[in-house]
Amino acid sequence: MTGLISGIKRMEIHDGDGCRTTVFFKGCPLRCLWCHNPESISFAPQVAFFREKCMGCSLCVGQRTEKTAENCPTCAQIFYGRTVEAEALVSELAQDEDYFRNSGGGVTLSGGECLMQGDFAVEVARLLKERGISVFVDTCGYVKREILERIVPYTDRFLYDIKAIDPAVHRRCTGRENGLILENLAFLSERGCDVEIRYPLVKDYNDGECDKIGAFLQGMKGISKIKVLQYHSFAASRYEALGMENTLPRVVTTPQDVAQAVEILQSYGLPAVNGISED
Amino acid sequence: MSLNREQLLEYAKKQVNTEDVRREDYENVIYLLDHCQITVPAENRFFVDVNCNGIQREIYRERCALFQPLWEEHGLMPGIRGGAFAGDHDFGHTCAHWESVLSLGIFGLWKRVGEYAKQAGDHARKQEFYTQLDAVYQGAFRFLKRAADSARAVGKHEMAESLEYLTTDAPRTMYEAMQTVIVYYVLQQMFDGSPLRTVGRLDKLFAPYYSSDRRAETEALMLDFLAELDRLKADANMPFALGGTDAQGNCLVNELSYLILNCYRKSNTTNVKFHILCSRNTPEELVLGGLDAVREGKNSIVFLSDEKVIESLVKIGAAPEDAVNYHVVGCYECGAEGEITCSCNAKVNIPKALELTLTDGVDLLTGERIVPARGADFASFEDLYASFTDTLRDLCRGAMKATDLIEANYHRIHASPFFTSTYPSALEKGGDLYADQTAKYNNSSVNGIGLATAVDSLVAIRKLVYEDGTLTLSELLEILKTDWAGKEPLRLLIQNRFPKFGNAKPDVDAFAGDIVDVMHGEISGKPNAKGGVYRLGLFSINWRWAFGAKTAASADGRRKGDPISQNTGASFGAHREGATAHLTSLCAIDSSKTPNGAIVDLDLHSSSVKGSNGLKTMYATLKTFFEKGGFSVHYNVLNTEVLKAAKADPSAYPNLQVRLCGWNVLFANLSDREKDEFIARSMKG
Repeated sequence: MTGLISGIKRMEIHDGDGCRTTVFFKGCPLRCLWCHNPESISFAPQVAFFREKCMGCSLCVGQRTEKTAENCPTCAQIFYGRTVEAEALVSELAQDEDYFRNSGGGVTLSGGECLMQGDFAVEVARLLKERGISVFVDTCGYVKREILERIVPYTDRFLYDIKAIDPAVHRRCTGRENGLILENLAFLSERGCDVEIRYPLVKDYNDGECDKIGAFLQGMKGISKIKVLQYHSFAASRYEALGMENTLPRVVTTPQDVAQAVEILQSYGLPAVNGISED
Repeated sequence: MSLNREQLLEYAKKQVNTEDVRREDYENVIYLLDHCQITVPAENRFFVDVNCNGIQREIYRERCALFQPLWEEHGLMPGIRGGAFAGDHDFGHTCAHWESVLSLGIFGLWKRVGEYAKQAGDHARKQEFYTQLDAVYQGAFRFLKRAADSARAVGKHEMAESLEYLTTDAPRTMYEAMQTVIVYYVLQQMFDGSPLRTVGRLDKLFAPYYSSDRRAETEALMLDFLAELDRLKADANMPFALGGTDAQGNCLVNELSYLILNCYRKSNTTNVKFHILCSRNTPEELVLGGLDAVREGKNSIVFLSDEKVIESLVKIGAAPEDAVNYHVVGCYECGAEGEITCSCNAKVNIPKALELTLTDGVDLLTGERIVPARGADFASFEDLYASFTDTLRDLCRGAMKATDLIEANYHRIHASPFFTSTYPSALEKGGDLYADQTAKYNNSSVNGIGLATAVDSLVAIRKLVYEDGTLTLSELLEILKTDWAGKEPLRLLIQNRFPKFGNAKPDVDAFAGDIVDVMHGEISGKPNAKGGVYRLGLFSINWRWAFGAKTAASADGRRKGDPISQNTGASFGAHREGATAHLTSLCAIDSSKTPNGAIVDLDLHSSSVKGSNGLKTMYATLKTFFEKGGFSVHYNVLNTEVLKAAKADPSAYPNLQVRLCGWNVLFANLSDREKDEFIARSMKG
């Protein structure tokens, strides 16, 4: 079974416990205005072109294909969308097995939305679990219930994005309503899963949702942590390189904004933490 | 009567005729003891300052120069001139027998000479040695009394009284023990002229003088001790070690280990560095403390695998009880108890061996023949690789021959009375450690430099010529001869896109393992000219700049004259997959074959080690690397923004330190080129 990924990042410390390797699956059902992985939005392979790195050698003869990207001397062309076999991917990820074991780390399936390639994601998670490697699933929640049900047995923790409670706000920010997302969260909670909520805080876009998120999550079981993430616009050059419209909000979310959101969530008795300082 | 440095040097230089070096050098040392100028720096608590540092070193360098023409006579100069290999004396990288120094004190070291003299009966040559050594110690006592008087004259009564006491008995208190370390350091370093490269395992050495109820007092002393060590301004920093195990495998970490680590973290030293000797039973707390200090910018801590070091020393013939009590005699290289390592004797330029393989033995830059012609028309990559390993063996032999030619004459070059007096084997045999070669292990060392540059170049040749058929071998050689002129896209394609050592690619990393095996086979355990053996190491320190300058363009995309790869790690910027992949590649090397050190420099961006998870991950990474057979790790935790700001305005960051190669430097003192390299590294980290 094969899947499409946009990249792998090893020795990641920001995606959960210990030393983790993150796999970025390609393709996402949402269109979050602030998306910082634009190369993972499309379900098709893409070549990004970073104009400022091009030395004009013409080896690519003006083409942008997987082959020309691989042979671009200055990495001005980058190919996103490698097709991988589940077993081969797991062998690659298992190279860091000993590092995972000693740090309490593992693999994080992320994206994009990893569960949009449901069968593949479940197979990768199953194979990882078989090798005794911890699996975290980073999801936006806008996925089929059936896939969630199937991946639950192989998942040690869900990293679950909540961007807004108000459906209109959610639609404006992500292009989709959030009914399914909130229902799926309730499902995972009921199933007794370990869920860490990620709340990307974007000033003037979803900062008004903080209280509603607090109220919604209050009393929900299985929520081990709520991490408030500070919005940044580092991905701008990648939107341009991919020929995509840059939708990044031109706002600044300050560390004070994040601290304030953490405080509000904590006032609901929730285990909120600051994504900037971690601890 | 005290003399200025020029006058002292003038006297010493009269004795360079090399006929009876032991007598001459011991007399020189006595003269220096009696005539050096003593000053008492206001901030010093333990000892005085003298003006004779480096004098005996000038003498032995002059004597060495008398033997260097032998290289020409033996046809080694094309290789040495071309930067293919080098081999010379090394009277530094020593470790005193610190257990003797501390347990006996300066007084006891002298008394022990007398005891050996009594046992030696009428053996004339031995008795001559004991008499000479006794005279040196009489000089030392006169010097210490003079030092005590000078200290008293400026009101330093604690220093003066203790110095006088130490001429009569062994140290009893922590202050006296610390003073003994510094006094001994000065005697060996400044008078003998044999650079002392560690003050030993301080937690173990100072343990008999410590009790928990004296914690606060000991901390204050330790801070003063570290500050005074720092002011000694040893070349390439003054190391000490913490941790390790005893012969039964018990962990040696004690309360003092933590106290010393914490004092080091509090102190503002720039010239002291240390090694944490990590075993499976080393408490996590100590290693975490060291890593946390590294995160704070104390980049001068190296972590070594106790088990791997011991294994590597036993492999070259050290008795297990000597191997377990090893010392790190410099940046990363280890020596067993009783061993003279000469860790920086010789070096081999591994990428140069590949250059010579392609040119049929002729240096591309000087045009001189360095190794015999063996043909350079290779039908297969395997043929090319076989020829490369033959050439590499030639260079190893050249390096050892160059070393032998000098070391065979140690008896005409240098003698070192204080250093000698600490080694039981030297007293037993009745002769000087260098002039009479009386160490238990009289070893020599060869370092292989530029391993990753060579591996990446081999992989590039295999791909370009033998797999893809992009170029013929002669076309590639022409490109290298002309330093990539007109071929910049190809150069960048290779540099940025080709497989490289450091990314956990087994088919690439295997070359590193094999090259080390080849060098080990040629070097390790081979007899040297002193009755000892050769040891292999893989550290480059700053030689990678000098050797790089003499190496033509290489097939990995490196330009002519650019530095070759650093220490045992990946080429600059070539490790694209992160630290775990980098470490996995290192594990392709059997580091039990590298007692002289295999070190990886891990550059980590400060954001990747932040928070408790960052520290936990650093620890797990180190632990895993050691479990998988790694030898040692050194970290640079770099913050791009801070480095850029410090380059723009050095005065705003006067204390920012980075680890240059085997030692720390102030960032402000680096050249712009070096600063830029660190900034680029911080972005990759």
